[in-house]
Amino acid sequence: MLAYLVASGITTGSLYALIALGVVVLYKAAGVVNFSHGEQIMLGGYFAYSFYLLAHLGYVPAALLAVMGTAAIGLLTFYVGFRPLIGQGMMSVLLATLGLSFLLKGIARYFWGGAGDYLAFPPLLSPQPVDLGIIAVLPQQLVVLAASGLILVSFALFFNLTRMGKWMQAAAGNIKAARLLGVPVERVFLWTFAVGAALSGAAAVLMAPLTLLYPDMGFLLFVKGFAAAVLGGINSLRGAVVGGLLMGVIEQLGAGYIHTGLQELSAFLIIMLMLIVMPRGLLGGPEARRV
Amino acid sequence: MRIQFGALVVAAVTATGLPAAAQVPGVTADEIAIGSFGPLTGQVYMYGQLAMNGIDVVFEKVNKEGGVHGRKLRLVREDDRCNPEAAIAAVRRLAFSHQVFAILGGACTASTIAAKPEIVRSAVPTVINVAVGDSISHPPEKNIYSVVAVASLESYAQLKLAQDRGAKKIAVVAQHDAWGNPRYAPLMEAFKKANLQPLVDEKIAEDANDATPQVLRLRAAGADAVIMLARPKAAAVLLRDAIKIGYKPDWWIGQSAVMDLDAFEKQVGIPGALSNFVTISYIKYQPSDPEMAEWRERLKALFPYDNLSPFNLAGISSALVLVEALKRTGPNLTRDGFLEAMGSIKGFQPEMLPGPINCNPPLSHQCNRGFAWVRKTATGVETIAATVVD
Repeated sequence: MLAYLVASGITTGSLYALIALGVVVLYKAAGVVNFSHGEQIMLGGYFAYSFYLLAHLGYVPAALLAVMGTAAIGLLTFYVGFRPLIGQGMMSVLLATLGLSFLLKGIARYFWGGAGDYLAFPPLLSPQPVDLGIIAVLPQQLVVLAASGLILVSFALFFNLTRMGKWMQAAAGNIKAARLLGVPVERVFLWTFAVGAALSGAAAVLMAPLTLLYPDMGFLLFVKGFAAAVLGGINSLRGAVVGGLLMGVIEQLGAGYIHTGLQELSAFLIIMLMLIVMPRGLLGGPEARRV
Repeated sequence: MRIQFGALVVAAVTATGLPAAAQVPGVTADEIAIGSFGPLTGQVYMYGQLAMNGIDVVFEKVNKEGGVHGRKLRLVREDDRCNPEAAIAAVRRLAFSHQVFAILGGACTASTIAAKPEIVRSAVPTVINVAVGDSISHPPEKNIYSVVAVASLESYAQLKLAQDRGAKKIAVVAQHDAWGNPRYAPLMEAFKKANLQPLVDEKIAEDANDATPQVLRLRAAGADAVIMLARPKAAAVLLRDAIKIGYKPDWWIGQSAVMDLDAFEKQVGIPGALSNFVTISYIKYQPSDPEMAEWRERLKALFPYDNLSPFNLAGISSALVLVEALKRTGPNLTRDGFLEAMGSIKGFQPEMLPGPINCNPPLSHQCNRGFAWVRKTATGVETIAATVVD
């Protein structure tokens, strides 16, 4: 039982890690939490569904287009929910992104919600489980794990080796100093929104064959990704990954060994506990001073 | 001369029946407006939109044949998105803005329960056609009848089926939410009455993306029948994870929320996953059965993008009952007369329903006690049995 729970927890946890990473990237660079993040995940799933099943593209092109589409939604979020509100305080941005989340849900409901109930994304590989000795896993779970790992490594390389990645780090550390050093801060924000959304799109593309798509699916995923970010440290990229994996495993172990009701509650419990006991999270550093 | 003119007016008015009709909301000399509320959008749109499409198919047929006592039927739709606040607003709009004669609708249990006080206050005759919560129609209210088998009947039937199939270790996996609780409580009563306890009693959230813990606990307990109180999303995740882990009870036993087995099989996405799954349906026939050919064609003609589904048939059967009550009311249509006519319906059998409609006021306004058991086979969906509870 333990092996199954841990394996399942790591699989879902790797998806939470991708979502948490999107939350953290945005928080670090722009100092905001995007409440339409969950809806970006949902739209990523619908984009993948439409490109793969309706436009009959292959899975890889469909996945790439879905990630690009989600990144475009991130850009829209920047232009609608962030840029006009720079200097208006975090609460204005929170409310704007909250409003945007309802708008995106409405759009999804208009295009996909009324035309089908829960849309099923077919398994990419054989739906029959693969025996790995002490446990059996679905081949799709292995794909999720491998792809999540690849995306996380690619993101780390982007963040540490590219100029934009370094600008993002500079803006996250001290925006004013970065600006003085010639970092185009607004462009960095733009990229941050796009990259954060692309990460949620990638999570959606991987998750789609394991779940069903519906317009309201985003909120709970966002809450779980946010809980993972809080657990790992909302300003720590490594923390997002660790938090995501831990979140997945805790959820499974709690539900498996204590009560299945905990599966639903664990994200909220983790957010509450961490804010009380360890507000900076497991790997979070002190809050950077924003000037 | 003045007297003669007055007599002429009285005679003309009496002949057309206009004054009586003019005083009845939603009724004119040539039309009856019937309202409906339920989800037209969202992930459970089929409970509302498909049922309403079914109603429109019946209305179209009746109208082509001349209407009911010369009056054509017109359906007014309101979207409640399965949301309690929206359902209350929908009922208010139907009753006061559209001023419909009667309502044929109520698709989601939680939202219909929320709207019930508004229905009672409005005094609009209401026939519930998809929502199964017992408390919607019991205790009886003068203006509310239900023509769908209620949740407690389903819950009792689920346990009985498990027992009839020889299951000794019966487990429960349930959604504990506004949809699941009205089914869970009677299920627990049924266990108590049978002097049984669920072997394990697990929760699952409607949004669950993983049911590994639930399945592992079922497997560890060795359940040979699992009663599921779950909507399609959670039910599909549960079945997928059971296959992943290699857990195969003798029976998974579902209820009417998962009665469209063709759609459910696609949602599970694993061929053969429903081989040991049996569920309750409101409808005796499958949409593809030859007996349903007429309704398939009529639906296609009116809604070319719809393929006949059990939810269309639920709408069709309920509309047939409503039309029967309107016919029985006679040409002088009043709301009281219609309610009296609804209460008089006994032994009325829409062809697709498992049992007849028997209303029994004032004791019971729950007029349908029949349901069918269906399962997926290699060749399609098969109706195993049709049952009417005494």
